[in-house]
Amino acid sequence: MSENVMVRTASRAAPAPAARRPQGDGSRPRLPSWMSWRAWLPTVVAFGVTATIWQLVATANPFVIPTLEEIWASLAGAPEMYWTNFQVTLNEVAIGATSGIAAGFLLAVVMSEFRIIERVVMPLVVVVMVTPIVAIAPALVVAFGFGMLPKYIVTGLVVFFPMLVNSLAGLRDVDVKALDVFRTLHASRWETFRHLRFPGSMPYVFAGLRIALPMAVVGAAVAEFVAAGQQAGLGSLVTTSAAQANLPVTWASIFLLCAMGILLVCLLALVRKRVLWWSAADVVAR
Amino acid sequence: MTTQTVHDGRPGVRVDNVSKSFGANGSRVTVLDGVSLSIGMGEFVSVIGPSGCGKSTLLKVIAGLVEADEGSVTIDGTSVRSAADGKLIGLVPQSPALLPWRTVLDNVRLPLTVNRKANAGRAVRDPEELLASFGLGAAIHKYPGQLSGGMQQRAAIARAFVFDPSILVMDEPFSALDEMNRDQQRLGLLEFWNSNRKAVLFVTHSVPEAIMLSDRIIVMAAHPGRIAEVIDVGLPRPRTAETYDTAEFRDLERDVRAALHGVMEKAHV
Repeated sequence: MSENVMVRTASRAAPAPAARRPQGDGSRPRLPSWMSWRAWLPTVVAFGVTATIWQLVATANPFVIPTLEEIWASLAGAPEMYWTNFQVTLNEVAIGATSGIAAGFLLAVVMSEFRIIERVVMPLVVVVMVTPIVAIAPALVVAFGFGMLPKYIVTGLVVFFPMLVNSLAGLRDVDVKALDVFRTLHASRWETFRHLRFPGSMPYVFAGLRIALPMAVVGAAVAEFVAAGQQAGLGSLVTTSAAQANLPVTWASIFLLCAMGILLVCLLALVRKRVLWWSAADVVAR
Repeated sequence: MTTQTVHDGRPGVRVDNVSKSFGANGSRVTVLDGVSLSIGMGEFVSVIGPSGCGKSTLLKVIAGLVEADEGSVTIDGTSVRSAADGKLIGLVPQSPALLPWRTVLDNVRLPLTVNRKANAGRAVRDPEELLASFGLGAAIHKYPGQLSGGMQQRAAIARAFVFDPSILVMDEPFSALDEMNRDQQRLGLLEFWNSNRKAVLFVTHSVPEAIMLSDRIIVMAAHPGRIAEVIDVGLPRPRTAETYDTAEFRDLERDVRAALHGVMEKAHV
């Protein structure tokens, strides 16, 4: 939330990189808003309250959820084990999401350039996408074995659709007047794409990534559930430990999955700020 | 209807009996009905008329953005298609339509970057010098979002001049600006055009603007879109802010308004 607001005000005042912004009236330079305690206080309070409630519930019901100390002890007791599993899942997310993002964007480019392809492919894509991914995963494991491939495919499938839809919306939403200028100049299809459609689609592409990246973590975890025990990974860790009622491990893994999602979203926000400084606000495509 | 030819060696723009209608067979609307006009090289022609008179469609036909159903358009003796291929048409749209991720300088360079084969053997301008003569010398490394509306529109005009086209096609480029700003931009455009004569087709809905800028004013009527009257503007050039105060200007203003009034009256019958 606060990140969006910042981007918006920054680009209204000066759409150029922040360095060129005039620094007030020469008096004490202001801290950026995210460094002020006012910005953080509500968040800290919210987490504090949640943690307190958690602790109260956990102490009263030790068989439902573990206490935060138990979770922390589990993490601190076997950092290598968690790190290895974290890496396995991160690897699935990285490869699966990258392929899914690339495939979604490329198909969107082809669809936006050739309407007929959209008519042919879009119904198929919709059929695949309305099929619950949890249902597809076991079938893929049967088809491709317990290796990494089905996990890449599930993760890729999950990110593919939001990327496709958002990229397509972005490539379509061109400034018509600018397109007229390109047409009177007899710019080639490639030139129009490279100088107008592609950069113009970026606000939508980033909106798509914002949805796709957290979903990629979901995809990887679900894929691991299906093939639990065969390969490492935080998702497998959740299912195996839950089956053994080892709650601290289960919850430690869940927190790590959550941390991975947050990490990806923060990274994306940083990249977005560098790439999309010219865009006034986040766009939301469907 | 009215065809005037200006002879100065090059043929300029010729629009010959152009018709265009839109819509399905049952409910076709004739937007342009047998429109003929010509613009000589270095001549400034404005098109004015009520909404629905087809002035925007006429502009799009000449710019090659819409194909005419009947009739022909030639620019410098060639078809609109090959004129576009040779980058002979400079378009200034209603909104500046600058690319927000490019600096002003890079926006003005854009026409030189695309369709490069048409650059060969032409007097391409230096974008930096051009921007300086448009009063944007200090803003070349800024982004469009940092400029005022008037400055953005000037950058858009510079973008149309940079590749030395034969004809400039302008679609109400100052309509989004406030009146004080508009007047300043008009005079700026006039001054620049005076030393860089191009054929200009200028669509507007402002009577003083049409008089101030043009050699000829084409008054169009609606339903179907057609040329109702052509008014010659004999005002001497260069024209300045004082031109507004002359008796000739006021006479012309009365004439153009009367012509527009006549066009509107008929539309209501």
